[in-house]
Amino acid sequence: MDSTDLQIIICGSAGDGTIAAGDILKRAMARAGYKVIAFDLYPAEIRGFGKCVARVRVTTEQVYSLKRRSDVLVSLDDSHAIEHVGEVRDFGAVIFENAPIARLREGRHMSAHVKPGQVPYGLAQREVCERATSSSRSRNIVVLGFLARMYGLPVAAFHEIIADKFKTKAPVVGESNIRAFDAGFEAATAYFKLDDVTLGPPSHVAEGADTVMMTGNGAVVQGCLDAGIGSFFGYPITPATTIMERLAVEMPKAGARLLQTEDEISAIAATIGAGYAGSRAATATSGPGLALMVEMLGLGVMAEVPCVIFVSQRGGPSTGMPTKTEQSDLNLAVFGGAGDAQRIVLAPTNVEGCYRCAGKAFELAEKFQTPVVILLDLYLSNRYETVIFSKDNIFEPNCSKAVEKQDPGQAYQRFQLTDDFVSPRAVPGDVGGMHTVTGLEHNELGRPSDSGEMHTRMSAKRHRKLEGALAHGDLNICKRFGDEGPVDVGILAWGSTFGESLEAMMAAQAEGIRCSAMKVVMLSPLPVDLIAGFLADCKEVLVPELNYEGQLANLVSGQLGRPLSRLNRVTGAPMQVEEILEQVRALAKGRAAA
Amino acid sequence: MNEPLRPVYLEEKLEEIRSDGHLAYRSKSLPTWCPGCGYFSVSEGVTKALKELHIPTKDVVVVSGIGCASRFPFFLEAYGFHTLHGRTLPVATGVKVANDALTVVAVGGDGDGFAIGGGHISHAARRNVDMTYILMDNGIYGLTKGQTSPTSALGFKTSTTPYENRDQPLRPLMMLLSYGASWVAQAYAGHQHHLKDLIAQAITHKGFSYLHVLSPCVTFDKTNMTYANLDLQVRDLPEDHDSGDLMAALTAANAPTPALGLFYREERPTLTEAMDEVMRAAGGEPRGGLARSA
Ligand SMILES: Cc1ncc(C[n+]2csc(CCOP(=O)(O)OP(=O)(O)O)c2C)c(N)n1
Ligand code: SF4
Ligand SMILES: [Mg+2]
Repeated sequence: MDSTDLQIIICGSAGDGTIAAGDILKRAMARAGYKVIAFDLYPAEIRGFGKCVARVRVTTEQVYSLKRRSDVLVSLDDSHAIEHVGEVRDFGAVIFENAPIARLREGRHMSAHVKPGQVPYGLAQREVCERATSSSRSRNIVVLGFLARMYGLPVAAFHEIIADKFKTKAPVVGESNIRAFDAGFEAATAYFKLDDVTLGPPSHVAEGADTVMMTGNGAVVQGCLDAGIGSFFGYPITPATTIMERLAVEMPKAGARLLQTEDEISAIAATIGAGYAGSRAATATSGPGLALMVEMLGLGVMAEVPCVIFVSQRGGPSTGMPTKTEQSDLNLAVFGGAGDAQRIVLAPTNVEGCYRCAGKAFELAEKFQTPVVILLDLYLSNRYETVIFSKDNIFEPNCSKAVEKQDPGQAYQRFQLTDDFVSPRAVPGDVGGMHTVTGLEHNELGRPSDSGEMHTRMSAKRHRKLEGALAHGDLNICKRFGDEGPVDVGILAWGSTFGESLEAMMAAQAEGIRCSAMKVVMLSPLPVDLIAGFLADCKEVLVPELNYEGQLANLVSGQLGRPLSRLNRVTGAPMQVEEILEQVRALAKGRAAA
Repeated sequence: MNEPLRPVYLEEKLEEIRSDGHLAYRSKSLPTWCPGCGYFSVSEGVTKALKELHIPTKDVVVVSGIGCASRFPFFLEAYGFHTLHGRTLPVATGVKVANDALTVVAVGGDGDGFAIGGGHISHAARRNVDMTYILMDNGIYGLTKGQTSPTSALGFKTSTTPYENRDQPLRPLMMLLSYGASWVAQAYAGHQHHLKDLIAQAITHKGFSYLHVLSPCVTFDKTNMTYANLDLQVRDLPEDHDSGDLMAALTAANAPTPALGLFYREERPTLTEAMDEVMRAAGGEPRGGLARSA
């Protein structure tokens, strides 16, 4: 049994320590050398008795999404966990509190809901915990000990992570939680393992690289820091806030500056001001904030100012569903604003991609003197993955096109028309580079001009300079996976949905369907040729997206005029692998029948 | 500010202008303002003040919004950013945060500052961003050809208030004083020398300096804030005005006719100084100049 693929759900009420238990579980498994993907669901309310779900998938091979079916369900509160029993596969396990709970209405106890084929383990969570720690607060840790014994999880790693987690509290707290873990472990010796859930040895980690576990937003922060971010301006909004919160801790340590502004308009305005002054500058927001920012984004395009805008999407329109995931701001990110205002838009598909895109965004913004939007979504922002970082910094510290020595008396042309449409750039403080930039159409000097000829030439400049972005180094703007050559079904996906698409593709291949999947990372400018090449190989094309209209499908069919099948979901939850797979099967069959 | 009257000889005047040195601060583009517009005095005042203070043009960034007043950066030899309507202050804040070695001057009109951009003033003021904000108040929208503005007087007829303006005008000085601006003064475009002196003081002040300039729009206002009317209304702040006393400043700002001079001044840490403190608290090292992470 070498390859491991184990997914555990922990479900409880706010206050049960559900998320904390999931956190310890994923950190311990990552520390022991496994690959981990995890995504938590919180109640929208700040306090109260909402449902919390922690899902942790532990593997040895690289995987790209969570599984629909889990191997083990741990209930810390049956009233919430019962809904999730159906997610447990046959011969998987359900672990619940077996003490009769008097207040529960009839039929609300887990024991009545475990399905035939699933293996129930009733554990006296409270009692075990109280005996070990004289309180029932650490029930969540007791179940971790139980899991460790049942499935052979690495005990030492758990001890380390638990000690780590409580190290800011009084020593007794850590000790009592370790006792709770050990009590759970001990309790499990009394159980006979009837499920077929197993854990193999961990994966090997390459030398010279660092494995860390982080969220998409955490990776964005790391990317910003490694790329040498100088200034950040933001206004809090879920699910982007944690980017600013982490940067607020880290940037001052590095001597960089961060400001919480009065709104998103000022956040991007200050970002553009800072970009103009030569600092690597960024802001982060969600759809409602981006809606406020687009006028300024247009100014960034017109005045050719480098700046980076992270956008973590949530359910929309308007205030929408702040704690639910969606991919419905593609249109706004790509097209938002007045006039012909093309900008660069990147959408990473996993946590490692968040890191790379974040750092590359500063390079691209500087090199092409334009705003760069990085589109994330709540699912990607908040989910944890183990990521392997190379030990060297992969980002270029300076990509600005320098002003060459000028003849004295010759006026500096900020918007000089050049072969690659990028003009040499001076920033305030540079001798002899004085100029004024403006949102008005302008000539090469930057002076306002509304001649038809000038507007035509400058419009071409602003668009054509971005062609270079399609060839920027060390960044997959678009990549095909799976079968090569002609295929029955091709899946075209972007953002976090690509993970599920890839899993669905592999499942389809296993069923004998010729299938490949392409991720589109650069949404603007769109790598039309690469996409066209892929589509030409596909008999059928499926575009799964978490939006109602099919925004990527519209973007691609608008440029390529090719019929595409769409799969759109707006449930606020990530796309399900099975949903995609079902469509792939149907499309493959439709073809076969034809 | 009351200059003794003496004849002006053209040759003498031209020589004085050429040798003065402040032309180096003037751009090669000629202002596009209407002849007689108050903004000429302000631009003259800024060039002279910068020259007097010996600030190199390469270290000056003039940030503006949209409006006649906001055309300002084009007429100055310095770095300039003509931004969006109302967004002068946040862009200027970004410039200063990015590089605190730069001298940042924000300029704009009354509509730009108090209507569309009204939400930003309080924050730039309370944060004490080390910059100078020169607000050119003509009580009207000039660029869009004569609509009412938040500082238009009651009873003023404009193209969008054909039956007279009935909205109470704002009181900019009182607002800025209560927002926490650390330097607040008022000048009049008709009193050029005084205006220039106040601009120089404003730029010298460490922190957010707000200079309100009463500046007639000769094209779209023939009845209200005209030179003729303002010449009669304006007066100096009393000799004994204490610019360290916030309440006295508020009282002076509340007077029915506009007083000219420095209303209020206080010393306190600027935004970037506060950021340096944050860096020290975090164990980092403030370096000044261009912001970047080490
Ligand atoms: C978002 C936006 N709304 C409206 C305008 C049109 N507009 C340009 S300038 C201006 C008012 C200018 O008045 P003020 O700021 O007082 O400057 P002045 O022209 O009087 O110097 C308006 C409404 C614009 N440019 N942008
Ligand atoms: S319209 Fe008024 S404010 Fe504008 S330039 Fe002419 S006089 Fe000055
Ligand atoms: Mg005005």
